[in-house]
Amino acid sequence: MKPSKAVRNGARALVESLERAGVDTVFGYPGGNVLDVFDCLRDSRLRFILNRHEQGAVHCADGYSRATGRPGVVLVTSGPGLTNTITGLGCANMDGVPLVVICGQVELNRIGTDAFQEADTTGLTRAVSKHNFLIKNADEIPETVAQAFYIATHGKPGPVVIDLPCDVQRAATSATYPERISLRAYHPECAASARDVATLAKWLNAAKRPVIYAGGGVIAADAARDLTAMAEKANIPVVTTLMGIGSFDTAHPLAMGMAGIYGTAAAKTALEKADFILALGVRFNDRVTEGAKTSRGVKIVQVDCDPSAIDKNVVVTMGIVADIKDLLTVVASRVKTASHPDWLSVLEALKPIKPKYVPLHRGVIMPQSVIDAVAEATRGRCVLVTDVGQHQMFAARRFPHSRPRRFITSGGMGAMGFGIPAAIGAAIGGAEGPIVAIVGDGGAQMTAEELLLAARERLPIAFIVMNNGTLGMIRQMQKRYFIGDYSNPDFVLLAKAYGLASARVSDPEKLGAAVAKAVRAKKPYLLEVVVDGEATV
Amino acid sequence: MKTTKSESIYRLNCFVENKPGVLARIVGLISGRGYNIQTLNVGPTEDGTVSRMRIDVLATDRVVNQIILQLRNQVNVIEVTSRRQ
Repeated sequence: MKPSKAVRNGARALVESLERAGVDTVFGYPGGNVLDVFDCLRDSRLRFILNRHEQGAVHCADGYSRATGRPGVVLVTSGPGLTNTITGLGCANMDGVPLVVICGQVELNRIGTDAFQEADTTGLTRAVSKHNFLIKNADEIPETVAQAFYIATHGKPGPVVIDLPCDVQRAATSATYPERISLRAYHPECAASARDVATLAKWLNAAKRPVIYAGGGVIAADAARDLTAMAEKANIPVVTTLMGIGSFDTAHPLAMGMAGIYGTAAAKTALEKADFILALGVRFNDRVTEGAKTSRGVKIVQVDCDPSAIDKNVVVTMGIVADIKDLLTVVASRVKTASHPDWLSVLEALKPIKPKYVPLHRGVIMPQSVIDAVAEATRGRCVLVTDVGQHQMFAARRFPHSRPRRFITSGGMGAMGFGIPAAIGAAIGGAEGPIVAIVGDGGAQMTAEELLLAARERLPIAFIVMNNGTLGMIRQMQKRYFIGDYSNPDFVLLAKAYGLASARVSDPEKLGAAVAKAVRAKKPYLLEVVVDGEATV
Repeated sequence: MKTTKSESIYRLNCFVENKPGVLARIVGLISGRGYNIQTLNVGPTEDGTVSRMRIDVLATDRVVNQIILQLRNQVNVIEVTSRRQ
C-alpha cells in the first residue's frame, strides 16, 4: 500500500474504495453505527437506494447482480441491521452470487460487551458467506475492500461481508486503494490439463447417448454461447438445472428442459438413459439426483471452477477444475461432428417441454395460464423474476427462456420473499425490460415493503401476485388441504397504499388483457391474479 | 474409539494465516458438516504469520476429501494435507 498525503477518515476511505472498485449503486438501510459512511455517501458518485428492510436490500443487490453480472453492494448498520441480512446472504451464497455487504459495528473496545446493537457479525455470517472481514484499523480499509471484491467475483462467486466498527470509520488514514490484489492463500485460477481435455474429447466422441447437463456455473462463467456451439457441433441434447435456465434456449431443438423432481420427462430420460454426461457448473443437487450418490455405470465428466464441487454429491468418472468457458473453447475444436439420430428421436418423443394441464374448475384461472399469458404479452422477451413455490416451477417449466440472466430465481436456498426485491434490483441495474415479477401470495407478504421503493423510483416492473389463498407448494407436499387461518390482505389496496397502480383479475377470459396491460404499463404495476388453489405442479 | 466399517481417524495438517477468526472458521467448517473433532492442536510456526493446525476427525475417506477441498477453498488456508491414522 502506497502512502499518500491525502488523509481522510475511514468512512471516506471506504466510499472512495467502493468508487475505485467500480461500484455505481449501493443498496441499504442506515443506522447508528454506520452514520459516518452514510454522511460520505451524500457527496459521492454512488447512487444510494434506500430499502425498507435489510433483507430486501440484500435481495435487491442479488437481483441487480444476477441481471447485470456485476457484484451487488449493500450497506447496513450493526446488530439488527446485520441479522436481517442473513437470509439474503444465504440465498446469494447458495446460488453463487457476488455481493459485498458492509455493516457498521460498535466501537472496537465495546466488541464482546453486549453493547447496544452489537452482534457478532463474523460469527453470524460465517456459514452464509464466502468470506468475511472485521476491519480493526482504518489503514486496512482500501485493501480489504479490494480483496472483498476479488474474493466475491473470483472462483465460485459469493457474498463477502465487511464488518466496520464506527470508531474505525472515524479514524484518520492515508492508505490508498491497491493497484494489485495479493492474497496469500487464495488462488482460484484454474485450467484443465491437456490430458483431461483429450480424455473428455475422446469420451464425448465415442458416446452413443451423450447429454450435457448445464447449471448456474455456465451463466456465471459467461459460457452460454460456447455451450450452444458445442451442443450444436456434435448434436448433444442439453438438460439444465433450475439455475442453468437461460444458458440454453428452450426453443432450440436440442433443449430437453429442466432436470429434477419438477423437471421434464425428456430431461429425466436424457439423464437416466445417457451413456455419457458432461456436467457443467452443477453440484448434482438433491432436487435432481433424489439422493443417488453414484453414477450407475454412466461416464460422467464434471467441470467446475470450484474443486470442492467435484464429487460432492455424486462420485463422477472424471472431474475437471477449470473455467467452463475456457474449457469449452479448448474442447470444441477436438469434438467431432455427430448426429446421434436414434438417441435424439427417443428424447424427441418425450417432448413437448411445456406440460399440458386441464382446468380444474370452470371460470377459475389456472396458474399455468398466467405464465403463458406473460409469455404471450411479452413475446418471451422479458426479465422474469420469481419468488419461491409453485409459481416458480410453473415459470421455470413453461416460459420460453432464451438468454442468460433473464430468469432470476432463488434456487438453492429457496428463499420466499426474494421476488419483489430481486425484480427491483434487476430494474435498478438497468436490465433490458420489461421486467415481470411473478410472486405467490405467501412470498409477496414477506417483502411487500419494498413495493414502496418500486413506486418511488418509478420502476417499470409488473408485479404479478398469483393468489391461490394458500401456500400451494406446501399444501401439495402435505397432500391434503392446508386448512388453517391462512388469510391475505387486499393486495390491490396494499399496492395502492404503496403508490402503485393495481388491479385484480379472476376471470380466465380477462386474464390475457389484464397481464398485457400490466407488462406494458411501463410503470410499477401490481396485478393480483386469483388462481385455482387446487392446482399442483 | 468406536468406528463404523468405513470410518477412520484422519489427521489433517493445515497451514493457515495467523489471523483472528481463522480457527473458528475451520472448526465451524468441520462441525457444520456434522463431524466431530477428536483432537485439535494449534501452534505457531517459524514464520510468525503462519499457524499450524493438527485436526483429527473420524470420517469416511470421501468425507475427508470433501473437508480438505473445502478447507483449501478458504481464503486463509495456505495448505492442507491428511493422513489416515
